[in-house]
Amino acid sequence: MSPTILGLIIGFIFGAALILAGLADPDKIIGTLRLKDFHAMRTIAVFVIVSMLGYWLLDLLGYAHGSVKAAVIIPVIIGGVLLGVGFGMTGFCPGTGLACAAAGRIDAIVATAGMLLGALAYILLYPFIVPAMEGVWNYGKVTLPEITPISRTIYTIAIAGFGIIILFLTRPRAKTV
Amino acid sequence: MQNTVRSAPLKWLVAGIVLGLCQILAVALSDPLGVSTQFVIVDTKIIQSISPQYVQDHPLVSADKYQSFGYGWWLDIGLLIGAFVAAIAVRRWRIRGSTVWSHVNGHSLGVRFLLCFIGGFLVLLGARFAGGCTSGQFISGWTQLSLSAVPFTIGMFVAGMITARIIYPKTPRIDK
Repeated sequence: MSPTILGLIIGFIFGAALILAGLADPDKIIGTLRLKDFHAMRTIAVFVIVSMLGYWLLDLLGYAHGSVKAAVIIPVIIGGVLLGVGFGMTGFCPGTGLACAAAGRIDAIVATAGMLLGALAYILLYPFIVPAMEGVWNYGKVTLPEITPISRTIYTIAIAGFGIIILFLTRPRAKTV
Repeated sequence: MQNTVRSAPLKWLVAGIVLGLCQILAVALSDPLGVSTQFVIVDTKIIQSISPQYVQDHPLVSADKYQSFGYGWWLDIGLLIGAFVAAIAVRRWRIRGSTVWSHVNGHSLGVRFLLCFIGGFLVLLGARFAGGCTSGQFISGWTQLSLSAVPFTIGMFVAGMITARIIYPKTPRIDK
C-alpha cells in the first residue's frame, strides 16, 4: 500500500479514536493534568499498555517497524518541559489540537497557528543551539532492553502490571458531578 | 455555553483498546504514530518559497525528510478528516471558542485565545526539541520502550501538572 493511502487510513482511525476517546477535549486533558478526571488517564494507560503489548508481540514475530527517537537527555527534558507547559496552558497537544480544530473548536485553530510559529522558531533557533546540546548525554536511538540486562518481555510485563495497578487505584467510583 | 464537561463517547477501556490497535496497525504496516514533524515541513515549504537558499543551507530542514509530504503528512490529513467525521457522527461537532474549565476559571475568550496561541507555540517548540510530541515521544516511545520516553514523560507531566494548577486552579473533581 502506498504511504499516502496508509497514512490517510491510519490517520483517519487515529483522529476518529481521539474524538471518540474524549482525548481531543481540552477539558478532559486539563482535568487529567489537575488529577481531577481519571477517565482520560485510564484511557491513556490502556492506550499505552495495548500499544506496548502489541509492539512486543510484533517484535517477537519480526513484524514491528520501529522508529526509536534519539535519547539526547538535555533537549528531550527541555522539550518535554516546554511541551508540558503549553499542554497545561491549553489542554492541547499537536495531535489532539488538530483533532479539536477539525471538531469546530476555534481555540484549537488559534493553538495550531501558535504551533506553526513554534515550529518556525525551532527552525530558526536550531543551527545555534541544538547541535551544541546534542554533544552531551547523547545515548543515541536506544531502547531500555538494549541498554539494560532486562529483556523486552520482562519490561513489558512489569510496565503492564504497573499500569493495571494504576487502573485499579483510579477505578471509577461513585460519580461526584 | 454549557457548563459541564460531557463524558467521552466511548468508555475508557474500549477507547484505550481502539487507540492501542491503531498504534499496532501503524507499527505493523508503516511507522509509529507521530504528529508534530509535519508542522516543520509546512514551515519549510513556506520558507522555501521565500528563500530557497536558507533551506538549502540549513543543517536540519535541508534533509529530504523535511522536504516531502509522505506517510506522516497524510497521517495528519487523515487525522483531521477522521476527527471531523467522528465529531459529526457522534453529534459533537460544534463551533466554540472556549472550554468549560476556562469559563469556570474566569478566562475571557481573549484570554483563552492568548493562552492557546502561546501554549501552541510552546507545545510545538518543545515537541521539536524533544524529537516528538505526545504521540511520537510519549505514546510511541513507551510502545517501543525507548530510553528517550523516560526523561520526556517526567518533564512533560511535571511541567503540565504545575502549569495546569496555576492556570486552572478551580477545576472540580469529575469522573465520567
